[in-house]
Amino acid sequence: MTSENSTAPAISVEGLWQVFGENTQTALREALDAVDQTAIAETLVGRGLIPAVRDANFEVRKGELFVIMGLSGSGKSTLIRCISRLLEPTAGAVHIDGEDILQADEKRLIDLRRNKLGMVFQHFGLFPHMTVTDNVAFPLKMQGASKKVRVARAAEVLEMVGLEGREDAYPRQLSGGQRQRVGIARSLAVNPDIWFLDEPFSALDPLIRRQLQDEFLHIQATLKKSIVFITHDIAEALKLADRIAIMKDGEIVQIGTPEEIVLRPVNDYVAEFSKDVPKGRHACVESVMLEAIPENMPDDPGLRVGMTLDMALAKCMSLYEPVPVHDAAGKLVGAVNPADLAAALQVDEV
Amino acid sequence: MSVIERATRKGAMALTAGTKAALFVIVIGAICRLLGPSVDWLVSWPDALVLPITEWVGLGVGWVLDVFKPIARFFSYLLNFPMSWASFVLGETPWPLVIGMVTALGWYLGGLRMALLGALGLGFVLLSGYWAEGMNTLALVAVSVPLALLSGLAIGVLAYEKPRVKNAVNVVLDVMQTVPTFAYLTPLLVLFGFGPVVGLIASAIYAAPPMARNVLLGLERVDDEVREAAVMSGATRRQQLFLVEIPSATTQIMVGVNQCLMAALSMVIIAAVIGGFDDIGWEVLLTMRKAQFGQSFLAGLVVVIFAIIIDRMSGKLAEPREKHSPKVVWSILAIAVASAIAFSLTGWNSSDVRAFDGVADAVDSGVGAFTASNGATLDALKNNAMFYGLLPLRIGLSDAVLPFTWGFKWTLTHTLMLYGVAVAIAGLLTWRGKPTAGLTTLIFVGMVEVGIAQLAWPFVLAGAGALGWVAGGQKLARFAVVLLVFILLTGLWERALLSLYLSGAAVFACAVVGGALGLWAAVSRTAWAILRPMCDLLQTIPLFVFLIPVLMFFQIGEFSAFLAICMYAVVPMIRYTRHGLVSAPEEIIEAARASGAGKWQEMFEIRGPYAAPTILLGLNQTILYAFAMLVIAALIGTTGLGQSIYLALGKADVGLGLTAGAAMAILALVADRLVQGFAEERRKALGL
Amino acid sequence: MKTLIKTGVSALAVAAMSTGFAAAADMGAKDEPIKLAINEWTGQHVTTHVAAGMLREAGYEVEFVTAGMLNQFQAIADGDIHATLEIWSSNVSDQYAGLKDAGKLEELSDLGLNAREGIAYPAHVADLCPGLPAWEALKDCAMNFATAETLPMGRLVDYPADWGTPGADRMTGLELPFKAVPAGSEGALIAELRASTEKKSPLLITFWQPHWAMSAYDVKFVDLPAGEDACFSDPAWGPNPNAINDCDFAASRIFKAGWPGMKDKWPAAHEILVNYTLAVEDQQPMMGAVDVDGKGVEEVVAAWMAANEGKWKPVVDAATK
Repeated sequence: MTSENSTAPAISVEGLWQVFGENTQTALREALDAVDQTAIAETLVGRGLIPAVRDANFEVRKGELFVIMGLSGSGKSTLIRCISRLLEPTAGAVHIDGEDILQADEKRLIDLRRNKLGMVFQHFGLFPHMTVTDNVAFPLKMQGASKKVRVARAAEVLEMVGLEGREDAYPRQLSGGQRQRVGIARSLAVNPDIWFLDEPFSALDPLIRRQLQDEFLHIQATLKKSIVFITHDIAEALKLADRIAIMKDGEIVQIGTPEEIVLRPVNDYVAEFSKDVPKGRHACVESVMLEAIPENMPDDPGLRVGMTLDMALAKCMSLYEPVPVHDAAGKLVGAVNPADLAAALQVDEV
Repeated sequence: MSVIERATRKGAMALTAGTKAALFVIVIGAICRLLGPSVDWLVSWPDALVLPITEWVGLGVGWVLDVFKPIARFFSYLLNFPMSWASFVLGETPWPLVIGMVTALGWYLGGLRMALLGALGLGFVLLSGYWAEGMNTLALVAVSVPLALLSGLAIGVLAYEKPRVKNAVNVVLDVMQTVPTFAYLTPLLVLFGFGPVVGLIASAIYAAPPMARNVLLGLERVDDEVREAAVMSGATRRQQLFLVEIPSATTQIMVGVNQCLMAALSMVIIAAVIGGFDDIGWEVLLTMRKAQFGQSFLAGLVVVIFAIIIDRMSGKLAEPREKHSPKVVWSILAIAVASAIAFSLTGWNSSDVRAFDGVADAVDSGVGAFTASNGATLDALKNNAMFYGLLPLRIGLSDAVLPFTWGFKWTLTHTLMLYGVAVAIAGLLTWRGKPTAGLTTLIFVGMVEVGIAQLAWPFVLAGAGALGWVAGGQKLARFAVVLLVFILLTGLWERALLSLYLSGAAVFACAVVGGALGLWAAVSRTAWAILRPMCDLLQTIPLFVFLIPVLMFFQIGEFSAFLAICMYAVVPMIRYTRHGLVSAPEEIIEAARASGAGKWQEMFEIRGPYAAPTILLGLNQTILYAFAMLVIAALIGTTGLGQSIYLALGKADVGLGLTAGAAMAILALVADRLVQGFAEERRKALGL
Repeated sequence: MKTLIKTGVSALAVAAMSTGFAAAADMGAKDEPIKLAINEWTGQHVTTHVAAGMLREAGYEVEFVTAGMLNQFQAIADGDIHATLEIWSSNVSDQYAGLKDAGKLEELSDLGLNAREGIAYPAHVADLCPGLPAWEALKDCAMNFATAETLPMGRLVDYPADWGTPGADRMTGLELPFKAVPAGSEGALIAELRASTEKKSPLLITFWQPHWAMSAYDVKFVDLPAGEDACFSDPAWGPNPNAINDCDFAASRIFKAGWPGMKDKWPAAHEILVNYTLAVEDQQPMMGAVDVDGKGVEEVVAAWMAANEGKWKPVVDAATK
């Protein structure tokens, strides 16, 4: 085992390039002479090569849930495969717990995967010929664990994802949601430190998706893994992430907390994403707080630092008395409490 | 030449690849047609340029055979053990036990239907009196199939693991499947020595490719994420392959196992030509020699039954299956043991039964009586087909049109008139914006006027090259031309053209008839219910058996060979056409219906174009089948490469056999690649 | 058929006499089975079963191995098969000559089967071409035999291509207006005979005897000028002064061949097989009984051997006693 640096970030990615085509390494080396990234990319494309990931740089802290968000074709799946070294990156460095895994040999890599890394796939990647238990226990089998240990551990993680009772089923007999629970259970079987999730909930129905997101958050709250999570859904990213990286055409265009992404997009592209996002749910009162405190403030609805805009609005509205509602002819037909208006606009938070 | 001018004038906007290719072929064709009568070497390749490839191959292979003979002999010595075990086990096991075990297996795999299939099928074999021979055939299959499966698996995995050798492996598989078995029986005989081992290896060679292809296909189709999941679980490469990827590909691999079984079974019969084993194939050959059609059909049916049982049961392996009560299995086995004891006590011998001899004789005399009473009709049918169809196609209208068949003599005027009409049609089509169709018509008219067997070689090369260029670009064009030049150099060109003519005619007929039947089966459920079992029968019956009725009705000659080829080669055309038409996605069909398309509009406007790539694949299979049958049809008496292969087999001439086999394989391969090129292009055009 | 059998008795007796009786030989490795080739045609089955019967009588074990006529020689050279008993000189591959010259295969003298090959026709065809069996008749009625493929010439069904083209050679030699169409196999030849007989249609075919079909379809030979040696080398000989082959087939030789090691391993068996002969008159009825009456070969041969001990027993006795 190489030395583990406890202060190092869980994952650090520096200058990572993934170019598809022939003789990519030389081509990239030559192209890198160009001034800026766009120029490099253009040179590569001009030679018939596809730069799927361009000069990615970021860190994932220990216990952090880091989301990479982008549209399909933006290179996010390629990026996560470079980090997990399912693909050989063309250039750059990836350190996991301070260890340069691009330098790791085959044996070390297998060792890392058997003990330290776990991955969940968009279409589950379940082994069709194995039962649920065998699927979940497969990484343990690779570790060389005895059958008894494997079955016991599989039961344990299956219980965690709420699949007890389906141990002997085959993947084809399960629903989509159940299949992804198996996928999650399998990736957790060896209790990895680093957890890769590649669009784990994209293939599921909205209802199931939300249910699994919530359970995922719950699991993460107890396990505190360092996570790289891929998604194309901004709402999912905002809901789950500690920090978000937005990718476009292989490039990371912005890295920030959900709030930063929503309120301070670096360009129109990112702004376009957050346009439909209900800002009230993701921004806090600090983001609209005045610099100078006015002298006269008669009402105090009880706003606190860290309160979302939605919540703050509801608090303010609660100060109002009910107001009248008229019909088309101007006749008074009823009354509405402004506090209820704000509450109705708010989406229930769990 | 006016066509070219007009076409170029019109095409000044943009000549499509097809038009350019057709123009090129027409120019070459016209030159050959004009100069052909005076310049001999245009029509027949000059002998001086024929390389003694046949001798070289003979010498080279002879040398190789000598080197490998000891190893091969040792191998066949080893193979003799499983061979004799298998035939001992199958031959000595009392028949009630064998039937019982197959029935029980049928039950286990597929419930009552499969159990009944096993029991009734083997019951038929028993009562036909061919039990012993049947078991010998099964013993052969029982050894050759594992051999084919293992080597197929190894080849498939190799091609999958080493992408660099994949293309090479594919070529080898093509060669294994297209070189007729008869062509390499002699070298195998020298190499492995006399006996069933040769037939066993021949059938393994033929049966391994479908396994290899399906293994490769299955492995390539393993979901990327499944593969990655195995990697991320920390599996080594070997663990990934054997614990995850191969098991995940099981369904596809089982399709391969099924095809492998069927191929081995069909080849075991052909390998019986060598003899050395008292099996069903030998029985078919013996009865064929006596022209005992009923008996030979009966023996053939035994193989069909084996094929159907093996096909259906191994087909079940590929499907997820429901559980069937093991109690039934045990009771079936118990009954089998009991009756085995009972029958061995009574000393009843199944080979004396021959319950169907009466039927066979009746069929036999029925065929005879039918021939006797319809002789005139049959002859008229044959003569008309020959005079107005096959002969003009072979030697061209100018030679085939004779006063006492067509009522007039073909003269230069007729030739000019024919070309005039063709040019007019071509011009009309060009004017209506379909220059390629017009030019192609002109080319076909030219081919019929000259006759396929008398086509000038530059024209054939140009045609193949042009087709290749259109279907798959320069690479394919080069592939086709280089391979055909090889045939020219061997001196087998004339025979190759004869083979080309006969299989071409058969493929054309199959395309028309099979396409129509496929369409019919697609629109009518009843039609498919009738056609399907017929297709099954035609595909599983030993190829030899096709020759029997054909020979009886139409005697020796090209028409009989033509019919035999058609009977076998029409099947894939029917199947693929129907499948393509039926399997258009429901959404597209709904969209068409919502747009107000009628039944036939839907068929031709929507389903037809969607099915085009599938139908082309069917055509491709039909071509390969036609070439495979061409060799068998030589038993009826055809000229062409098939005959050369037999001649070589008879004279134990390894060089000639392999060269003629290679020429045959080249024709099949070139045709295969061309059609696949077009299919691929259609698929891409449809975005499939 | 009975008359045939009767005449056969004397024929074989003479044959047996003429070969002369050699001295008794050693039995050799009589516990090891002698393997005899079973080829594709019934006549050969009869011949082989008679030989097997004789070897068994002498105390040997015999095994039958099915083998393609053309493919068996390699097996004999390798010692996988020990003898094959009915080889037609008209239908022998180059491989045979090669193996024989290399000493890997021993020719075991003639079977004594009086074979004949020729241009033949089913009896009813005589009505369609008056003047048959004289060959000159064919000159004028060639058109009656014409088919789509051969027009304007008549059609002659020749041997399968791998047996050579004797029929075509005759037609050229005699300048008969017939085009030879090779049959692909023996089955195709029989099918032609059968269809012609049932349809009463014209047929000219290259055929041979002994063959069960000769009697089954009442096949007659065309009378051609006798096939003397000169015919095949000297164009001046025969009706056509400009060509060779203007005559009937040369007499076919039918002989036996075996594995060279047999002489030392089973001396007595070797002697029996060398001296074994069988006459057409004996073989043909047995073939008929098998192919036409549908009896088993074993049964037919056993019956014949029981009834005709005088024809084969002396050969066995001479080698063993």
